[in-house]
Amino acid sequence: MAEKIVYYAGCFANYYNPEIGKALIEVMKKSGIEVMFPEQKCCGMPMMANGNLKGAEKNVRFNFKSLALAASPGYDIITTCPSCNLMLRRESLAFFDTEEARFVSENIYDAGEYLMLLHRQGRLNTDFGKMPIKIFYHNPCHLKLQNITQEPVALLKLIPGLVVSRINTYCCGMGGSYGMKKNNYNLSAQIAKKVWGDVKASEADRVVTECGGCKLQIEAGTGIEAVHPLILLDEAYKSF
Amino acid sequence: MAKIPDIAVLEPAAEQSRRRAAGVFVGKEVQPDLESLKARLREIRQHCRDNQGALQRQLEKTMGQFPEVKLTFAADVKEAAAYIKEVAGKAELASINKSSVVINELRPQLQASGLKTYIRYFKEFNDFEKRIEDYWDLPGLHERGLVESFDVSQTLSHLRSLQVRDYIAILGVNAVSAEDGSVFFLQHMANISKDLEQAKKIILVIGLEKVVKDREAALFQTRCMGIFGLESILLDLGPKDVERYDFDALAVLPRGQDRELHVLILDNGRSELLEDGYRDLFLCIDCRACARQCPIGMHLDIKEWVWSPKNYLFGFLQGWIPSTEASLHCGRCKMECPVDIDIPSLIWKAQFEHYARYGRSWRKRLLDNPEVLAKVGSWTAPLSNWAKGIPPFKVAMELVAGIHRKANLPSFNRQTLRNWFRGNRG
Repeated sequence: MAEKIVYYAGCFANYYNPEIGKALIEVMKKSGIEVMFPEQKCCGMPMMANGNLKGAEKNVRFNFKSLALAASPGYDIITTCPSCNLMLRRESLAFFDTEEARFVSENIYDAGEYLMLLHRQGRLNTDFGKMPIKIFYHNPCHLKLQNITQEPVALLKLIPGLVVSRINTYCCGMGGSYGMKKNNYNLSAQIAKKVWGDVKASEADRVVTECGGCKLQIEAGTGIEAVHPLILLDEAYKSF
Repeated sequence: MAKIPDIAVLEPAAEQSRRRAAGVFVGKEVQPDLESLKARLREIRQHCRDNQGALQRQLEKTMGQFPEVKLTFAADVKEAAAYIKEVAGKAELASINKSSVVINELRPQLQASGLKTYIRYFKEFNDFEKRIEDYWDLPGLHERGLVESFDVSQTLSHLRSLQVRDYIAILGVNAVSAEDGSVFFLQHMANISKDLEQAKKIILVIGLEKVVKDREAALFQTRCMGIFGLESILLDLGPKDVERYDFDALAVLPRGQDRELHVLILDNGRSELLEDGYRDLFLCIDCRACARQCPIGMHLDIKEWVWSPKNYLFGFLQGWIPSTEASLHCGRCKMECPVDIDIPSLIWKAQFEHYARYGRSWRKRLLDNPEVLAKVGSWTAPLSNWAKGIPPFKVAMELVAGIHRKANLPSFNRQTLRNWFRGNRG
């Protein structure tokens, strides 16, 4: 593993919630890792979902080229959005398989997955301050699909005093912009009812999820803010 | 040689599984290796996919050797329904099993031809209280190391019966051996056993993908259908009054009735899919494991067909489902599939082909590049954030872009991460 990583932020962290990207930079800095942020475009998944294959291809090729070049000295590529990660690691390869695509796919990690990898290698700074709070963790489908379900929870549990009181692996029904569309809105809300009910019943102090879409859906149905795990990690470092 | 091939019915072996469950709970039983089951199943299915034409020819030759089997091939459901109607003659009553080939593909044509079709399965429920509302209520047997076993409970090797009634049974086959013609069914109730014993005319419907190499493969595949699909059965289990019919109450015909056994091999677009980039759909055994965690399945208004994400795609490719746009693309179907069919990617592929042929709606085109919208929103924040909260804008968004007026849209950040990064890192 290198002392630098290449960050793919995706649209959510870039345009809507830059705090996620800032938290990643701070968290990585604590373990002596510098974050590089090469030029990038939307991962293409929203375009695919709207049937814009050509637009998606343009973006995917741009991203693969830019990320592969930045990571070529042997750096790993990190994402903070589960859907971007899935798109870059797996989904786009079914349609746009190139050498650069395979290189990116083989060297890409979700941030939580990567931090746990660092921890297992004894390279993660665990100087976390105490946070005596109960957490409701929602595992997004696009992480579950990649079998990344245990790492985020294990990572959060490294914070002293923090208790993950509930782990939810059910779909929230948002699916990117799927649940925002008039045609799907009611269906999406029906699917979300289980997650909304569980969040409300959990009496957790904080709700945590990696996915921007899941965050919006949970907040819409519960009025409770949902944050990325990196935000909590950053807070824990700062309270040390 | 026997006059008909063996027709075997598999059922859950409840006593055995109760013992196994107890063994798992007290830690005495070794947990079954699902991965090795999947590996063997994939081997069987890949052979089927890669040798479909040869297997079909071999099956036709094998079936031709049984004197009491009337074999036919139908290119599509119209041909199939016409044949079945001809076989039925004056009989109007038909019992069908809950297989997707019969219910999803054939039933509309059968009903149009005047046959009255019933799933007698539902008659076996007396008092029924639905306790599984959605996938989170499922017992999660595999996660707990519990695997139901399925054994052959009955084998029909001749057509003689003292229980014949005047109706036809149209039964979608779960697997058939090309080598010896033996046919396998999986049943959770007693409907198929009864139809094999009682129906005056039995029509076995074999989708091309159901033909496998030999008896061992067919038996293994049918067992796997039960093992991997058990919990999906629970999801949509619920008696429907319109489907109930008491075939047991029909008068038993006098002795000496000649019964008929028809074998109908159905293509209905399958061989085209093999050539068209959808070859992996031939790996499917119709276990419906893909439906187990599908978030949309229980919320779609589906009454007339057997739901699964794979059936949703298959129906779209066959032309009887107009769109696959209800798919969330969550990928849970792919995760559950025991033979690793990438259903989400195939759904995308099918959608792209559809749009290439018929075009996309202007609303879809408006959302072609969400990043452009995000850029504009960020440049104009906080104005954009104020605007997205006012009713006229919400109504306009709904009318123009198809975004629901109550949708929780994200707030734009005036300073993007990129700008912040440049400012802080030079």
